[in-house]
Amino acid sequence: MSQEITIGAQSQTGPDGKSQTIVIDPVTRLEGHGKITIRLDYNGEVQDAHFHVTQVRGFERFAEGRPFYEMPSLMARICGICPVSHLIASARACEAVMSVRIPHAAALLRRMLNLAQMIQSHALSFFYLSSPDLLLGMDSDPATRHIFGVAAARPELGRAGIGLRRFGQHIIELLGKKRIHPGWVVPGGVTEPLTVARRDEILAMIPEAYANITLALDGYKQVADTFREEIAVFANFPSHFMSLINEDESIEFTVGALRLIDEQGGIVEDGILASRFTEVIGEAVEPYSYTKFAYYKPLGYPEGTYRVGPLARLNIARSMGTTLADRELVEFKQLARGPVHGSFHYHHARLIEILYGIERIEHLLNDPLILDKHVRATAGVNRLEGSGQAEAPRGTLNHHYKVDENGLITWANLVIATGQNNTAMNKGVLQTARHYVKDGRFTEGILNRVEAVVRAFDPCLSCSSHAVGQMPLALTLLSPDGEVVDRLVR
Amino acid sequence: MSILPIRCLILACGNTLRGDDGVGPWLALWAHERFQSDPRVQVIARQQWAPELADDISRARAVIFVDVSIASAPGCVELVPVSPSNDDRGPGAHHLGAPELLALAHGLYGSALQSASLLTVGAGSIEMGERFSAAVDSALPEACRLLEQTVLRLLCES
Repeated sequence: MSQEITIGAQSQTGPDGKSQTIVIDPVTRLEGHGKITIRLDYNGEVQDAHFHVTQVRGFERFAEGRPFYEMPSLMARICGICPVSHLIASARACEAVMSVRIPHAAALLRRMLNLAQMIQSHALSFFYLSSPDLLLGMDSDPATRHIFGVAAARPELGRAGIGLRRFGQHIIELLGKKRIHPGWVVPGGVTEPLTVARRDEILAMIPEAYANITLALDGYKQVADTFREEIAVFANFPSHFMSLINEDESIEFTVGALRLIDEQGGIVEDGILASRFTEVIGEAVEPYSYTKFAYYKPLGYPEGTYRVGPLARLNIARSMGTTLADRELVEFKQLARGPVHGSFHYHHARLIEILYGIERIEHLLNDPLILDKHVRATAGVNRLEGSGQAEAPRGTLNHHYKVDENGLITWANLVIATGQNNTAMNKGVLQTARHYVKDGRFTEGILNRVEAVVRAFDPCLSCSSHAVGQMPLALTLLSPDGEVVDRLVR
Repeated sequence: MSILPIRCLILACGNTLRGDDGVGPWLALWAHERFQSDPRVQVIARQQWAPELADDISRARAVIFVDVSIASAPGCVELVPVSPSNDDRGPGAHHLGAPELLALAHGLYGSALQSASLLTVGAGSIEMGERFSAAVDSALPEACRLLEQTVLRLLCES
């Protein structure tokens, strides 16, 4: 059997001399460590495929015994990309324990912080991690298929990406004093009000941010049509979707309640508050991954597969609630009759959300109430259990704590976006591998597509396994007998 | 986000929780205090050097990267010129080295720096902890002197 070995790949032939296993290890341009294994049958056709998350951390466990009010800053350390979402979900869980409502200005400020984080995270995902595939091509030379290649081919888009990331990071830094792991969000609100000078500094950055996202959206639309084959097979299947939504059915990131829709867009569950989350969502465990597999309980596992994140949010929301993003949403919804099922469109949804974030931040800054000095409510332990939820850039995040009468954590559970997309990512890897890997033959471009389907979801593996380690993910080709035949390591 | 031209950008890197790896941020803090009254000098310290720093580099006439070195002898202070290169771009483009940042600044912004150098201090230990090894501790005066001398020279040249 002939075998085309790619850079970084290891190839082994099974004991029968025919069967194969491809291993991509690590899978690159992701947030965390992962591995993909593809098992071929005796005819060289893809039999099965798995996306493995190979890191473990155990944040829930070492939170036990800590005072509940430490939880936001402690839980934010899970992730350097989306610490703000953890801060907010955690603070909201603590506020459920305290039974307090936060001041209005604090709610506005948290909303802005969460949107700023969404913008910088989406900019990282789209420009740093996925734009090499999108702008240079899935089959382009891997030696130049990276951010330097983008800088050479489309420097204006490279600058736009950096500009948007800085925009989000700078807002986080102005509000929370630190770009990463700001401690500004606390149970009861935030520690400091917004000053006029900082508000004006952020407002001054808005025009450039609009120019950058306009450039990016135009650039994406110019190339999207060239990926028709990928759009058709990158985790493109019917599934449920879940996200936060407002009462007026507009998109929501920070408060609101969850809505779950089915594959035709029908509402299956609505008004799911954080306290009801575990009534609706269960978590399954598979032996090949440290990340759990969330599912919709009434359908069981794995039938209850659903997706979260930008694609889910845009599928569920009836409107964005802002002028420019609403215009983009109308165009986006024309991609399908009903929910958009192709996960390739996560990229498009991400850019629309960036546009929405900029518009919404501008609106928030023009609300005089955002400068109100009363930004924190105080209380002690009034309930022994609390849950909080928020939309992280990559999807819904739920924190659930139990405390003793002294406010010490006795139990904690976090349900992370990547875990909720886990079954869909695995199905997507299998779907993509089956489409492209034929007769046991694969090229570097094919393996890159298998990785790219995972990238489309922008999973955060550190969050999902709650993990020590660096970024990359890895691909394994297995024989029907389980022998490792090929392995891609970059 | 200053839009004024910076004569000398000091760009430090390191984790203050990993022993001698924190020497970059320590020197950045020292430089901030030493040159805080001089608007021609900008100091940035990060745990990792990320691509967006290319924008900061593009606004400067000279850059001094400051980092720990695990290749040098413990406590050895060195200053070497740096040239743009994208040979070692990192697996996920989340963090970059000094040559890659220079290449990105040039590729994206057409940066034409007059000078780029890397000041390193050889690590004795980068295990968990907030204290420096004895070797790095005793090298700090020399590192400060070399950093100060280099900044002053760059300010005179520009």
